[in-house]
Amino acid sequence: MGTCIEAVATAHGGRVFGRGARHLSDVAATACLARAHHRADELDLLINAGIYKDHNAAEPALASIIQHDLDANCGDPPRLGHHGTFSFDVLNGGCGVVTAAQLVDGFVGPGSARLGLIVAADADPSPRSSQGYAFSAAGGAMLLAHVDGDAGFQRFALRTFPEHAGLFEADLCWRPRAGLRHRGRNVVEIYEAPGFAACCVDRAAEVAAELLANAALSAGDVDLVIASQYPRGFGALVARRLGIAGERVPEVAASLASAHTAGPIAALEAAFESQRFARARHTLFVTAGAGITVGVALYRAG
Amino acid sequence: MTPWMLTEAGHGAAAPFAARFESIGMQLPERRVTTRELMASTRHHTRIDLERLTGIREHRVCGPDDTSLSLAIGAARDCLARSHYTGADLDMVISASITRYVDGTTHRFEPPLSLAIKQAIGAPAATSFDVSNACAGMLTGVFVLNDLIRRGVIRRGMVVSGERITGLGSNAARVIRSILSRQLASLTLGDGGAAVIVERAPEGHRGILLAGFTTLAGYSQLCLGQPARHHPGAQMYTRARKIHQVAMADAPPLIEDALVQADALIGDIDWLIPHQTSVRAIRSGERALAEQLGAHPRHTAVTVDEYGNTASTTLFLAIHRYLTDHRFVTGDKILLLSVASGLEVGVVLFEMDELEASHGHLH
Repeated sequence: MGTCIEAVATAHGGRVFGRGARHLSDVAATACLARAHHRADELDLLINAGIYKDHNAAEPALASIIQHDLDANCGDPPRLGHHGTFSFDVLNGGCGVVTAAQLVDGFVGPGSARLGLIVAADADPSPRSSQGYAFSAAGGAMLLAHVDGDAGFQRFALRTFPEHAGLFEADLCWRPRAGLRHRGRNVVEIYEAPGFAACCVDRAAEVAAELLANAALSAGDVDLVIASQYPRGFGALVARRLGIAGERVPEVAASLASAHTAGPIAALEAAFESQRFARARHTLFVTAGAGITVGVALYRAG
Repeated sequence: MTPWMLTEAGHGAAAPFAARFESIGMQLPERRVTTRELMASTRHHTRIDLERLTGIREHRVCGPDDTSLSLAIGAARDCLARSHYTGADLDMVISASITRYVDGTTHRFEPPLSLAIKQAIGAPAATSFDVSNACAGMLTGVFVLNDLIRRGVIRRGMVVSGERITGLGSNAARVIRSILSRQLASLTLGDGGAAVIVERAPEGHRGILLAGFTTLAGYSQLCLGQPARHHPGAQMYTRARKIHQVAMADAPPLIEDALVQADALIGDIDWLIPHQTSVRAIRSGERALAEQLGAHPRHTAVTVDEYGNTASTTLFLAIHRYLTDHRFVTGDKILLLSVASGLEVGVVLFEMDELEASHGHLH
């Protein structure tokens, strides 16, 4: 029994007008379900892994609002005898999608749940006042389903390197002179040190190599590398470090090239569209983000 | 029959292990503020008798140096002090707070708070991430750990949360004019931190008998918390009456539906530990259970009168308090119930074991 990827979809904010994370999540999730020919009320589990949300809302979990927008077992009132949907948010920066995939796999793999949806979207909540926000407005959705047999996600590795925690920090800070009429405002401030990208590559390559070794696989066995899109060029650099040919790292559309949490889903969508995911025997997910946190997963086709 | 809630045993899935609570810790600020003092701080004269409405006498309030992070670290250290384990023994650390203050007015998005927490408690090798699920955050973390431990992916982990949340009350006090204010619930909040270690139960121990969750997303907009527009900190807008109506109508049948998975009935429960929003709401919940299910748990834990609503930490502050007061006995069946913004309804049913005896022993 395992957890396989049924479909993926992305959404981006457009060139002129940005869109909020909720809208991007809704668009991606709706397209993803449609591609897999599933209804929203078939979802058992919905996890949002996005970080930068409309109004920087802290509660409820954005996942519950997306569930509402999808009309997935909204439960007013609950229909006993039919399953509902459970939604919550996971916050793990650039590794959010892989983290969420591990949690969904925990329920979908053994069959406690049949269908789980991961959504991840980020959009600058306040473009006029944010400082250092470098991610594109992008969202993604990935639908995971229970399968018999041993295909699907094989293993996960989440590691942190706190000695590099200061290389990337994102906060919402009160600035008393910010905003209209200098009345003060809570401002998104992101600090990225010059060595952040290189450190992400170093650490991700280290964790990925360890995971491949534990799975008794070599670089040559990896048919596809699905990587974070931020820092830019991360996937190609990690692949090179691992000795995996650069052609095995899909290129994403320019509009998704700096996607934050949705980055790996954007890469996966490119691989779906080019049929490379369908042809790949072993797919390696490699993600990294603040912390430094590295999330790696190995996926095997049936 | 398929339960509405997602449970670890849904669709007949079996797991090789059981999980149980190994230790519980907390950190409460020393400073106490009575509800009367809080109501006296409102800018407008309101005539609202909030103490009579909610049964909350006082709240714990952070000092200037306390943060969400420091409360979480304090609770995690207290939890380890009561545990047989050190931080290095933990396989996973999950932070579950709503508030994410790392200093007085700075809310951290990245890196996750769990990273700083595990560093502070000497658990650098533990896998870590944060979850966000409003006041159901800690129980969501337990739900996740229970699944991973039952399947043998990890042996033990910690869920931790620190809530420096009374700043919402300070912002609400500027604008509240009447009992109809949607920010009134902000004045029921209290600060606090809690932590719990969940471990693989030894063979023959029952531990956690059931963990289930659902989101009634049709009501997702009933309680919204976000940064204030022109003040430090955040604001919360709550349609408290509507949330109460939904909870009273929907929670009892959902609980009964989930308990079937553990071959349990509501009348078998020794203790109900519900999310602590107000004494009045908890008593209404007891009555709703009795009316709809024909029985109710033998006892109900109440700590909101002393602590206020401490958001994601209420359930574990209540267990900690009742363990400290020796209110539980080995073998008690205890039902934790989260009802939170989302609208989240979660249950964890467990059987009290050595935790009752070991809680008071600091290692």
